[in-house]
Amino acid sequence: MLKSLYVDGHTFLHRASAGAKMAALALCGIALYFTHSTIILASATVLAGTIYLRVGLDLREAYARLKPVLFTIGILALVNWWVLGFGIAAMQLLRIIAIVLLAAAITATTRIAEFMALIEWLLGPLDRRGLVRASDISLALGLVLRFVPDIFAHYEGLKDAHVARGIPFRPARAIGPMIILVLKDADSIAEAIDARGIRGL
Amino acid sequence: MTTKDLVLIALFAAIVVMLGLLPPITLAFIPVPITAQSMGVMLAGCIIGAKRGALAYALFVVLVAAGLPVLAGGHGGLSVLMGPTAGYIFGWIPGTYVAGLVAERMVREGQPEARQYIGFFLASVIGGIGVVYGIGIPWLCAVTGTPFGAALYGNLAFIPGDLVKAVIATLAARAVLAGYPMLHSRA
Amino acid sequence: MDIRFSDCSVKFKSHVALHPFSLDISERRVGIIGLNGSGKTTFAKLINGLVKPSTGHVTVNGHDTVAEAKAVLTLAGFIFQNPQQQLIMPIVSEDIAFGLKAHGFSPAEVASRTEAALARLGISALGPRRVHELSGGEVQLAAIASVVATGPEILIFDEPVNQLDLRNRARVLAAIESLPESAIVISHDLPLIEGFDRVLVFHEGRIAFDGAPGPAIAHYREIAAC
Repeated sequence: MLKSLYVDGHTFLHRASAGAKMAALALCGIALYFTHSTIILASATVLAGTIYLRVGLDLREAYARLKPVLFTIGILALVNWWVLGFGIAAMQLLRIIAIVLLAAAITATTRIAEFMALIEWLLGPLDRRGLVRASDISLALGLVLRFVPDIFAHYEGLKDAHVARGIPFRPARAIGPMIILVLKDADSIAEAIDARGIRGL
Repeated sequence: MTTKDLVLIALFAAIVVMLGLLPPITLAFIPVPITAQSMGVMLAGCIIGAKRGALAYALFVVLVAAGLPVLAGGHGGLSVLMGPTAGYIFGWIPGTYVAGLVAERMVREGQPEARQYIGFFLASVIGGIGVVYGIGIPWLCAVTGTPFGAALYGNLAFIPGDLVKAVIATLAARAVLAGYPMLHSRA
Repeated sequence: MDIRFSDCSVKFKSHVALHPFSLDISERRVGIIGLNGSGKTTFAKLINGLVKPSTGHVTVNGHDTVAEAKAVLTLAGFIFQNPQQQLIMPIVSEDIAFGLKAHGFSPAEVASRTEAALARLGISALGPRRVHELSGGEVQLAAIASVVATGPEILIFDEPVNQLDLRNRARVLAAIESLPESAIVISHDLPLIEGFDRVLVFHEGRIAFDGAPGPAIAHYREIAAC
């Protein structure tokens, strides 16, 4: 039901580690924030765009992924132009587009499993202090992906039940009952997890 | 953390994902279509409480960052989290926490219905609107350079829709409290 | 296999689930029958430690279920009534692998044990499938695979075919019959336990009958008829 945004490939970014990519993204973000030369920002944007377009997505998909973000950025750029003048607005626009393109490229070249391994690693220090269980995050992710289709089925089931009884279905009113249906299972699911010794053997 | 709490957190994060799959609702008197997903902040805080609710949203943000298209409209990935609206998304986490705190303090089983409604509504507005915008708007200004005044003015269009969401969330939270209370349960 | 109950009872806040009893179980196939609410599930959960006894203690192959809870969990696997709630990863093989990894098996062992478990249950083809696309019986078989993969000696089934249609029931029953591990099965499905070594009949928190399947079932019918 949920298809990851990862795109298979063998580019430089694909082969780089998740941690390195995140660190690079953060550094680039900071560097761009402190850059005030329009020429450098424009070059950065072109470079980021080139990287993004070479990860393996076709043009339509590449655009579709960024459409809403670009839309918001565009509107804000127009506001900036009106309030702050063209020069500053252009700089801000280039800055944010560059970082968004780079981020999109990293998302497309990083597998979910790699990313989750990075998160588990980052939680390491907390795990060693006994504050969290780092492996819980993979369990939690798995549970979400496992049960989203079931929850959707609950919702559809409620809808069908209304239709069958000739009652108009109002989504807003179904939210409470749906949440009850979903959360009621928590006890049994937790029991099955504990019975398998998954948390703490 | 008990296994049951972990499961509740994951299931609620899954509910938030599901809310993103519902089509947006357009109401006549509201300029922007309402997406159910941001209502999840109010629901999580009011139904499973501050700590579990916030963790459910933290898990949700991890899903977005990992590259799953779980944001309403099938979007996700780091590009959203580096963009102008990232502040709202990150703000969902403390927003849920605050909504949960207010709900936990103000609402008790056995109270008259009206008091419960008021408690949940306040929790929804303070956490789901106040805190979220309180983080979202400054973040937007910092990231895009837009002046605070302009940003604030621009966000006004969303407030009526958010108030409608607060009402829906209040009614739903109360229904859950009556049918399967979890707000004050500690496994 | 050797399960011993010494002066065990289980009291919840509002009622007594199991009155004090002592028992030894070492048979390969043990059936547990009784009316709803008679204490069968509480009894079964005492074995793998999901329920702790209010008085007395339970040992599984010498390990106390409270003091050595983790050792007991490795020895005794539990399969629940609702298969949907037992699989926690979206894809079948991922679920089995996750459980193995949590038990500390190496990546190579995880892969081989996952394959082996699927093959044992005759569902190798279901490995890469998504759980929510499977039929009830297939999900239950996958749940059984996920539990046997880690190598427990004892399997406890709580009404394993309760929610399945006829064809899926037959599949799961056949799988249970072929398992080399010791099995303790709670079942409303009387034909399933007819060939068992020993059957316990529970009634109102006590063991009303303990013996061969034939007389046990007859006793149960008497109780049910009142």
